[in-house]
Amino acid sequence: MAPPAQALEGLLARSALGDRGAFRALYDATAPKLFAVALRILRREDWAEEVLQECYVSVWRHAAEYNASRAAPMTWMTSIVRNRCLDWLRRPNPQPIDDEQLEALESDNPGPLAELERGRDTAALARCLRGLDAKQRQAIALAFFDGLSHAELASHLREPLGTVKTWVRRGLARLRNCLELQG
Amino acid sequence: MNYRDKPELRERLAAEYALGTLRGRARERLRRWLRDDAELAREVAAWEARLVPMAEAIRPVAPPPRLWQGIENRLENTRKPFSFWKTLGLIASGAAAALLAVAVLLPPQRAGISPSYIAVLSDPKTNHPVLVATAERGEMVLRVNTLDPAIHVAGRSLELWALPRGAQPRSLGLVSDQKAILRLAAAADQSLGDVPTLAVSLEPQGGSPTGQPTGPVLYTGPCVKYW
Repeated sequence: MAPPAQALEGLLARSALGDRGAFRALYDATAPKLFAVALRILRREDWAEEVLQECYVSVWRHAAEYNASRAAPMTWMTSIVRNRCLDWLRRPNPQPIDDEQLEALESDNPGPLAELERGRDTAALARCLRGLDAKQRQAIALAFFDGLSHAELASHLREPLGTVKTWVRRGLARLRNCLELQG
Repeated sequence: MNYRDKPELRERLAAEYALGTLRGRARERLRRWLRDDAELAREVAAWEARLVPMAEAIRPVAPPPRLWQGIENRLENTRKPFSFWKTLGLIASGAAAALLAVAVLLPPQRAGISPSYIAVLSDPKTNHPVLVATAERGEMVLRVNTLDPAIHVAGRSLELWALPRGAQPRSLGLVSDQKAILRLAAAADQSLGDVPTLAVSLEPQGGSPTGQPTGPVLYTGPCVKYW
């Protein structure tokens, strides 16, 4: 269950004013989810811990830049973590992708979609993801959850790079159209 | 690459940045563009709003306690060792922090204009901000907003002081209401230009009889000029 956005906004505002207690509460409410996001992309606990520490220090310092009219608090913080993870992966020690770890997300697995369908705010997203071609959905899910690049997608899915890029591009366009119709 | 007048390219870059498939130099380049292309930043934010809720599907994993410990250590290591001044520094550290206080906690003053001077006063014992004072540079008015109504004490007055560099405290007036408007002796640029700190003392009803603080100094905070 996601913590209510309003509560997180309040904690962010108080953190921006230097309230360490509020920051701790923000951490308690968000760290398990963000740790899981980082673990999934980085696939190494020590890296995920390092990245998360950097991200929370950054959230503390930049809490005042959070703009509630632009992003939900969890979206803002998750984006910070995902971006930092992707930067981290640029370092010259890429881990080979373990196919077993990725299997949970294969297109025929309803896990993540079923999870999204239960959420009030994510049901439309789940419907639109379901509406994509299986290949498009799989490519987008692997890129989002596991941080795979186009090249990694191509090698994991054993398809030409250009094909994979097209799946991603078309999948995103369809997702956007679908979400706008739902919205 | 010229991307500015190519809406489809912008859209694709924003989407792939949010998804994470934009990598390497292309990612860095987009990040540079984001700094001065507000429209592109909005597109990225819109894509993040669409895609990032997918993370709801990820099952939370409790981080080890050492993770929070590490965050605290990093926050401590960048601060001065005295907790009281640490509090001041912490609040002063952000232009941003005080601006947010104004944006979030004060009623809009004049549409689109941020105050020139902002002071956030806090309780050094709890680190909690309790008062925000703002002034526009050319005006002879200081607006004081009480964040914590509990600070007002029956039968006593809270007096706000300017602590100018190398000079005696100067009374700015009594903070008697939750939203007090205090008249400055001169325009804010003259009255606050050389005042790095504001403080509040507890005084007999009606204010200090001597013209200098007589009671305990309860709250203090940096007074920062933004523009």
